[in-house]
Amino acid sequence: MSSTAETAHGSGHSGETLPRIQWVEPIQQDFHKISQTISSITEKAQPDWWWPAFLMSATILLSGVMSAVYLISTGVGVWGSNIPVGWAFDITNFVFWIGIGHAGTLISAILFLFRQKWRTSINRFSEAMTIFAVICAGVYPGIHVGRFWYAWFMFPLPNANWIFQNFRSALLWDLFAVSTYFTISLLFWYTGLVPDLATLRDRATNKYRKTVFGVLSFGWRGSTRHWRHYEIAYLILAGFSTPLVLSVHSVVSFDFATSIIPGWHTTIFPPYFVAGAIFGGFGMVLQCMIPVRAMYPGIRHIVTERHMDVMAKFILATGTLVGYAYAMEFFIAWYGGDVNEIQTFIDRATGNYWWAYWIMVSCNLFIPQLYWMKSWRTTPWKSFIIVTFVNIGMWYERFVIIVQSLHKDLLPGSWGNFYPSYVDWIQMFGDFGLFFTLTLLFIRFLPMIAMSEVKGVLPFSHPHGDHSPQPPATPKVLVPADELVLKAEGGKGVNWGIVAEFNTPAEIRHAAETLRDAGYKSLDAYTPYPVHGMVRAIGMTRSPVPWITICGSITGLSTAIIMQFGLMTWWYPTIVQGKLYRAWEAFIPICFELTVLISGIFTVLGLIGLCGLPRLFHPLDQYRRMSASTDNGFFLTVEAKDPMYNEAKTTAKLQELGGYNIAVVEA
Amino acid sequence: MPAIFSRSIDTTIRQAGLAAGLAVTLFVLGFYYYVQPSYTRVGYQPEQPVPFSHQIHAGQLGMDCRYCHQNVENSPHATVPTSQTCMNCHNPEKANVKGASPLLSLVRESYRSGKPVEWKKIHKIPEYAYFNHSVHVARGVGCVSCHGQINEMKVVYEEKALSMGWCLHCHYNAEVHLRPREEVTNMLYKSTSDSEGADLKQKLGINPPNNCGGCHR
Repeated sequence: MSSTAETAHGSGHSGETLPRIQWVEPIQQDFHKISQTISSITEKAQPDWWWPAFLMSATILLSGVMSAVYLISTGVGVWGSNIPVGWAFDITNFVFWIGIGHAGTLISAILFLFRQKWRTSINRFSEAMTIFAVICAGVYPGIHVGRFWYAWFMFPLPNANWIFQNFRSALLWDLFAVSTYFTISLLFWYTGLVPDLATLRDRATNKYRKTVFGVLSFGWRGSTRHWRHYEIAYLILAGFSTPLVLSVHSVVSFDFATSIIPGWHTTIFPPYFVAGAIFGGFGMVLQCMIPVRAMYPGIRHIVTERHMDVMAKFILATGTLVGYAYAMEFFIAWYGGDVNEIQTFIDRATGNYWWAYWIMVSCNLFIPQLYWMKSWRTTPWKSFIIVTFVNIGMWYERFVIIVQSLHKDLLPGSWGNFYPSYVDWIQMFGDFGLFFTLTLLFIRFLPMIAMSEVKGVLPFSHPHGDHSPQPPATPKVLVPADELVLKAEGGKGVNWGIVAEFNTPAEIRHAAETLRDAGYKSLDAYTPYPVHGMVRAIGMTRSPVPWITICGSITGLSTAIIMQFGLMTWWYPTIVQGKLYRAWEAFIPICFELTVLISGIFTVLGLIGLCGLPRLFHPLDQYRRMSASTDNGFFLTVEAKDPMYNEAKTTAKLQELGGYNIAVVEA
Repeated sequence: MPAIFSRSIDTTIRQAGLAAGLAVTLFVLGFYYYVQPSYTRVGYQPEQPVPFSHQIHAGQLGMDCRYCHQNVENSPHATVPTSQTCMNCHNPEKANVKGASPLLSLVRESYRSGKPVEWKKIHKIPEYAYFNHSVHVARGVGCVSCHGQINEMKVVYEEKALSMGWCLHCHYNAEVHLRPREEVTNMLYKSTSDSEGADLKQKLGINPPNNCGGCHR
């Protein structure tokens, strides 16, 4: 991208200017084109490759389902896991998939907090990847005991056994971490999806699509009163997801690190696992994104080579971090002087599983070094080759850590190798089938790029007055006055208010500010993305969502404290590992996870409640141009309950400010 | 854009949401009441092949539990008596108590053929839990503590939940159920003092296992 495309950006407050990096190529500089490009993928018939690809991955998924049925009906003996390697493909795949999910959360949360606007082109896709990966991971804890109907034993439910899950166990931390991670990721993803589902609803031409997306979008119309809560809620969810990114794989690593198996019992595991997870996660995002980008040329202007470039840099950085951890493990084994540790690490590089170790090191450390060269970062097929190796390498990393460490543990008498059975393999490929089936369904039915967010980072989307570039002159769509309002049945015979359309974000903000200053109280604006400064322009202040969130945090934290202390020491007193009842340190992870979980749920419920959603019917639905509010239209409304409301005067005022398609809507 | 939904839909959705919330709450509460062993197991009273009445034998006649359940003091199992035990009294050729009763025909048949009467087991403990009658009897846990007022039952039923939590309740508070060794089979025993159980616990050094391996061996 040429430097001329980077335009100066006036902050508007202090007068200083910052370069505004343009992430979407100029051809897309139009709100409508963005809706069109992304939505049409879900609206048109699929390209020829879709059905074969879907049937193939669904078949692989089916084989995985069948192998799970075989496992459950026959018993866990059909897997190759046995003493000493009691954890093998199951946990390898579990950790592999949990790790894949991390890039999505990193992109959606951490990069959001750091105002990395390039994330908007890829966050939806990677968040979906996160959710699907966690589902794939969740398969294994669900079935690995064979008797899956006892899976509810994993959940802390009141029971007749007078014994409770041990909250001091890393495995229970893991349950809380993964389910919190899944729930928060899902809430975050869906919250981001709602405005885009509304776009799909408003673009829909048949009744079936209209109804489905109408229900799924809760009646979102892009109201500024809703954006007001939405933006804060989204920011809070991003804030919660950020420590989650770091915590989830740390907790997963505790499953190993809190044991005494040489090769597992190390303090480097949490940062090492998190770096590896981000590494593998970006690998999988690129692995899926590059073919999708090739298949749908329309989105290449939104997901550009610069995006691939940045993701490749993440892979290079985290891959090198992981390589450092590999080296450090050997150093510590030598420096620590523990004979078992030394034995394990010599065996790791030269023993029965030497090949797995060297595949891991080559794929994760050596091959990604090619990313130092720009052409490997930005050429899709070259990058695709590297990320394929990255994914293989990350699978082998988990395999090496789990199987190699277990096969020669502290007791020479129980040494032995692991041989996967064919059921192991089918189960593993079935999980990939599940992942790709979900991904294909996602790109078929849902907008894979966050339209409203991309619109929000277009160079002309912020109404900063004269400094900002103006949007390309789009012709006004003028509707004859007598066709503007289509009456819905059952009207009350009174007027709801006046609505007027404006051509640019700057115009509507100016109009709203003028009316506000003139004394109007019941103003609202309907815009395709949250227009900067619009909340103040309609005379409102900061959203109270954070107060609801803090109530959730207090509820979550106190629930966690009461639950753990109460259950472990009072209601179901159990001494485990000789620890004292008052040993509170091991309660911290669940305190954290539950605080985040309940806060996130409160935030989303608060958002829904404060916005008064779901609101499937709104008087404005009768206004013919309303469907553009989720596409490229900017609408200002004055409600009849406003003391200043006067149909003739208000209409004249709106017209004077540049409004057109002005109509009075019945309540 | 013509409205997709009717004006009344939002009210309908809110009412439906409220109803769904109520239904879920009721389901959860019901679940916790109805799936616990205290509901599912207590009151289990199958019809036995022979209408043997504990009320008559243990209650009215005052027979000792051990007359029939012979091994309760020195075996994990209390043992269901053989037909020979019944025939000590009911044999038409010996004591001839109700020797011709048609209700006892199955017992006589069993006595002749040597095939046991197929009694239905009521107090079941899962195979993965190890339970030993003799230990409990030796320490002075009364029969009544686990089996209830058998001496009043015409047809035996399960009076206690026999869940793990129920076992542990006594393992944590054994003094409540301890009595002198010789009073174990006394179904009507009342403790002589409030501190009797605690005294016995201390005197005998009773310390019931609370670890997993105590029962799951």
